[in-house]
Amino acid sequence: MAATALIDTPTDDIQETYRAAEEYFGHVPNFVKALGTNPAFCASITGFVIEALGEGRVSWAFKELVILKTLRATGAHYSYGAHERLAVELGNSPERIGDLNNSIWEDSPRFSDAERAVFALIEQIAVDANDVGDDIWDDLHAHWDAGQLLELNAVITTFLNVGRMFDTLGVCDPQLFARPVG
Amino acid sequence: MARLPYIEPEDADPITKQVYEDAEARFEMVLNIFKITGNAPEIAQKMWQIYFDILQEGPRLSWIDKELLILKSTKMGDCLYCVTQHEVVSARLGVSAEKQADIVGVEYRQSPHYSAAEVAILDLCAHVVLDPEQIPREVWRRVKEHYDDGQIVEIVATIGAYLQVSKFGDAMGVELEPVWHGHEPVLFDVEPPTSAASKQHLEHFLAQAPSA
Repeated sequence: MAATALIDTPTDDIQETYRAAEEYFGHVPNFVKALGTNPAFCASITGFVIEALGEGRVSWAFKELVILKTLRATGAHYSYGAHERLAVELGNSPERIGDLNNSIWEDSPRFSDAERAVFALIEQIAVDANDVGDDIWDDLHAHWDAGQLLELNAVITTFLNVGRMFDTLGVCDPQLFARPVG
Repeated sequence: MARLPYIEPEDADPITKQVYEDAEARFEMVLNIFKITGNAPEIAQKMWQIYFDILQEGPRLSWIDKELLILKSTKMGDCLYCVTQHEVVSARLGVSAEKQADIVGVEYRQSPHYSAAEVAILDLCAHVVLDPEQIPREVWRRVKEHYDDGQIVEIVATIGAYLQVSKFGDAMGVELEPVWHGHEPVLFDVEPPTSAASKQHLEHFLAQAPSA
């Protein structure tokens, strides 16, 4: 049982948010329903999650690895399985996903230097965001432009938020998309 | 030092300009945290809507309740940028310095400045920041004595959003604007930052001359 009621039948002031979620995900995920008692927040949070999940300045396939590593690094459980599934559908091998664990990514031949630079950022943000040093930023700037770095930081911190918020509310979304995304 | 360029209003694209205008209308200035998101305008537009929703009365929760949650969650992460700004916002809303100071640690539980409802959501906040898996049922019981589901969504969303934006800004080295120089810290005076890096940020801030 979630901490708050899941709203299956939207009230008038939230129908547009449910419609947008259904159009994007192929169904209305439980995280949207868990926010349904607060239409304003349901709309803004759903809108930002949709913005984070998709092709952007950084490929969606890599963003899914960023999301998985963020959830792991911050001890979050919400939607981990759903994002593993998305990561595979978008072309990541199970071996690449497995190599995200603990420090395996640091020596894994399945990742590029550019990807490893981002995983280092995630681990440091999880420990102390005040202390992301020159070494990490030098590596990031060597591989990514400013717009990509802004997007990557937004994805990392969004899913730090998403993990905390929906673990707190007790939301389960074993499948975010009701359609293949690859 | 910021790790990405601040995009000034005169250099911003139309989407970012609109975000800046909305931000200036609400916050009287375009803060550096907004200017750094000008590097990816399509993200800025969606991201900031959540904060526009939080930083006002309602729709379900009082602005003061939200400011207390912001101070608690961002102090626990040693975010100088957020704590400094929200000490000022809280004061404008009528939260005394004494009340602000008692939010540190678990002092609020015994403080005469806090109601039982406020204590309940600050206890919930501390658990959310540390580990949501460890929220005891008695904390949920006390929260639900005072708040309905729509309010609980707003409580949890506020905590989550400020965990997000504090890490977002701190990771990129977003600096406090000169207008805050000279502000006397309240929360960090009660309890200094924990990490060496955040102590350095505070020392650097305190060394700045007050804005004219």
